[in-house]
Amino acid sequence: MTDLSADTAPRRSARTPRPLAPAKRFLRILRPYLYLAPAIACFVVWIYEPLAQAFVLSFQQWNLLPTSPKTWVGLDNYRNIFDLPKFWQALGNTWYYLMGLLPLAVGLPLVIALFTQDLPARSRNLYRALIFVPMIVPPVVAAAVWRWLLDPNHGILNLGLQGLGIEPVEFLSDPSIALWTITFITGWKLVGFATLILAAANAAIDESLIEAARLDGATKWEIIRDIRLPLLSPTLMLLVLMVVLLGAQWSFSYIHVLTEGGPLGSTTNIYYLLWQFGFGSLSVGWSSASAVILFVGFGLLAAALFALKAKVTFYDD
Amino acid sequence: MKTSLIALAFATSATMTSAQTIPESVTEPVTITFYNYNLASAGNGADATNKMIAEFEAANPNVTVKGVPVPPQDIATRLQADLVAGQPIDLVQMPFAALGFAAENLGAVALEDIVSEAELAGHFEGMVPNGLELGKLDGKTYGLAYTFSTPVLFYNADIFREVGLDPENPPATWEALKAAGDQIKATTDYLPLATGIYGPTALDWLMQGVIASNGGAVINADRTKMTFAEPEAIEAVEMLRSLAQAGITRNLGITAQMEGMAAGNTAMYLQTSAIQGYLVKGAEDNFELRAAAMPAFGDKPVKPSNSGSALSLHSTDPAKQRAAWELMKFLTSKRGYTIITSEIGYLPLRPEIVEDPEYLGEWVKDHPLLQPNLAQLKNLAPYVPLPGPNYLQIGISMMDAMEMATFGEDDDVKATLTEAQERTQRLMP
Repeated sequence: MTDLSADTAPRRSARTPRPLAPAKRFLRILRPYLYLAPAIACFVVWIYEPLAQAFVLSFQQWNLLPTSPKTWVGLDNYRNIFDLPKFWQALGNTWYYLMGLLPLAVGLPLVIALFTQDLPARSRNLYRALIFVPMIVPPVVAAAVWRWLLDPNHGILNLGLQGLGIEPVEFLSDPSIALWTITFITGWKLVGFATLILAAANAAIDESLIEAARLDGATKWEIIRDIRLPLLSPTLMLLVLMVVLLGAQWSFSYIHVLTEGGPLGSTTNIYYLLWQFGFGSLSVGWSSASAVILFVGFGLLAAALFALKAKVTFYDD
Repeated sequence: MKTSLIALAFATSATMTSAQTIPESVTEPVTITFYNYNLASAGNGADATNKMIAEFEAANPNVTVKGVPVPPQDIATRLQADLVAGQPIDLVQMPFAALGFAAENLGAVALEDIVSEAELAGHFEGMVPNGLELGKLDGKTYGLAYTFSTPVLFYNADIFREVGLDPENPPATWEALKAAGDQIKATTDYLPLATGIYGPTALDWLMQGVIASNGGAVINADRTKMTFAEPEAIEAVEMLRSLAQAGITRNLGITAQMEGMAAGNTAMYLQTSAIQGYLVKGAEDNFELRAAAMPAFGDKPVKPSNSGSALSLHSTDPAKQRAAWELMKFLTSKRGYTIITSEIGYLPLRPEIVEDPEYLGEWVKDHPLLQPNLAQLKNLAPYVPLPGPNYLQIGISMMDAMEMATFGEDDDVKATLTEAQERTQRLMP
C-alpha cells in the first residue's frame, strides 16, 4: 500500500509544463473535450433532454396523440396526484418492496457467497450455477411460471400445502400477501446476480490477509467479521445502492403480468403507477409529474446513500 | 408536421370521396386492411373473425383482406401512427367511444357520401334501428353498427342441480342471487359468483349497468356532475360488499374469472356476452352452461349497459372503398351475424335470423344462452362516456374507490364513495 503512493509521487513531479505553439496548445486544451463529446452527446440526447421534457410535460395536459394540443395546467397535475390515495399507497408499497428486497438481494447472497467459498471448486461452481439460473430466465416467463406454481386451486405449492392439511393460500389475490409474493419473486430473480458479484469480490480478497489472521489464531467467524466483511463493504454498499434505487423497478414485469397492481392496489408501486398514468390512461402530464416527484425523491435518497457509502466502506488500497 | 400530414390525408379523402360514388363492383384484384380487436384476443373472437374473412374472400376472389389485430384501447393511437406512417387503413372495428375522434381526425368516411341511397337502405333493412343510430354523427353513418354485447349472468346448471337449486329458475334479483350463493357456499367448494365488474379492462361499463338497474347513475344526464355517491349507487355497492363479505364473490382478475367459470369451478358469472364463445368451449363435455339476464334490484327494471363497436371505412381509393364496403356488408349480413352470435357471443343486430332455421334457428334451440342477451336488447341503456381530457383518471379513480368499498377493510361504503366523488369532481372539465 505504501509502495504504491511512493510510486506515483515522482511521476507527478516529472510532468512539468513546457512551452507550446498557440494552435497546438488550443488543440491540447480541446482534446479531452473532443474525446468526451460522444459520451456527452449521448447523455444530452438520451437523458438530459428527455428529463427536461418530462419536467415541462409535468405542467401540461396531453394525451400522447400528436394531433391533440398540449395545454398548460400549471401545478394541477401535481395537485391531482397528491390528492390521489393510490399515489400514497404506491409510495408506501415502494418502501415495503425495498425493505423486502434488501435481505433477499443483499443478505442472502452474502451468506451464500461466504459459505460456498470454502466448498471444493467443483461443487461450489455447480452450486453457484444453480443459484444463477433464475437470472437468465426472462422475467415474463418467470412470472408466468410462478403464476402456475402459486395458483390457489391447481398450483403445486398449494397442492403441497393442502396435502399437509393447510388451507390453500392466495398468494396473488390476498391483498395482505400479494406484495410479499411479488417481492419474493423479484428477490429470487436477483439472488443469482448478487451472489455472483459478492463471490467475485470475496475471491478477490488477498489470501495472505486471511492466512495471517489464521496464523494469529482467528476463528472462521472472526475472519469473516474482521477481514472479509470490511473488505466486502464497497461491494455490499454498491448492491444496497442498486437495490434501493432500482429494486422497485425490477418488480415491474411481475406486477404487470401477475397482479396489474391489484388486488385493491396492494401490489402497485410508484413505477407501476407512473406507467399506468402514462400508458394505461395516456395522461402524459400525470405520468411526467410523478416521474419528476420520483426523480427528486430518489435523487435525495441516492445522495444520502452515496454519503453513507463514503463513510462506511473500507478499501484495501 | 404530423398534424399537417393527417390533415392532408383527411382533406384528400374528403375531396375524393364527396366528389364521386364508388364503382359498382370490384373488378381488379385489391388488398384491403381490416383493423380488428377481436383478432387481438386469443380466446375470444379471433377464430370466428378469420372464418368470416375467409368466407368473404372465397365469395369475392378479387379481394384480399389483411387482418390487423389491435387491442381496443390502442385503436386510436395505432390508427394515428399508421396514418402518419402512410400505412393503408381501409376498414376498422371502431369502439363507439372512439367513433367521434375517428370521424374528425382519422378520416372515417360517411357511407352516405360514397354509397347510393338505395343500396344503403337495402342493406340497413332488417338491422336494429337503435344500433344503426349509434353509428351516426350529424345524421351521417360514420360507423356501421357491428358487434354489440350486454352483461349476462352465465351459470353452471350442473352445480345448481348438485346443490338443489332449480336451473330452470336462475336468480332474477340480487336477493335471490345471494340466497343461491349462500346455498352453494354452504354445501360445496365452488365459488358461487364471479363478476367482471372490476378490473382494468372493464373500467365502469358493467358498473354503470348495475347502478342504473338500481335507479342511479355514475354521472348526471348532462355529464357535469359525478353522482356515484348518491344513495342508489351506494346501495348497489353495499349490495356487492355484502356478497363479498359473505364469501359469495371474490376479487379475481379477468383471466382467473374466465378460467374458473370455463373449468366448472364457478357457479355464476356476470360478464359481457362477448366471452360466450370461450365459455361454451370450456363447458363442452364438462358441464351445462346456461345464461340469464342481469339480476335486478327488487322489482326495479334491469338496465343492462351495452358495449360495442362499429365498422368505419377509411379507404381513399374508390376500388378499395367498394371492396371495404362489400366486406362491411358481408360482416353485417345474416350469415355474418350467424357466425358472430354463435361463435363469439355478440348480439345479432339482424334479430330475424334467430327464428330462421337457415341461420341461427337450429343453433338457438341447442343454445338457449342467447335468449337473455336478446331480451336485453329491448331495454339497453347505452354506456355513458365520462367527459373531458381526464376521463380515464376519473373512471379509474371511481372504480378504485368502488372496488375498495366492495372488497376493502372499511365498512363505510358511503364515506369511501363520497370522498372519491369529491375528488373526481375536481377532475371534471
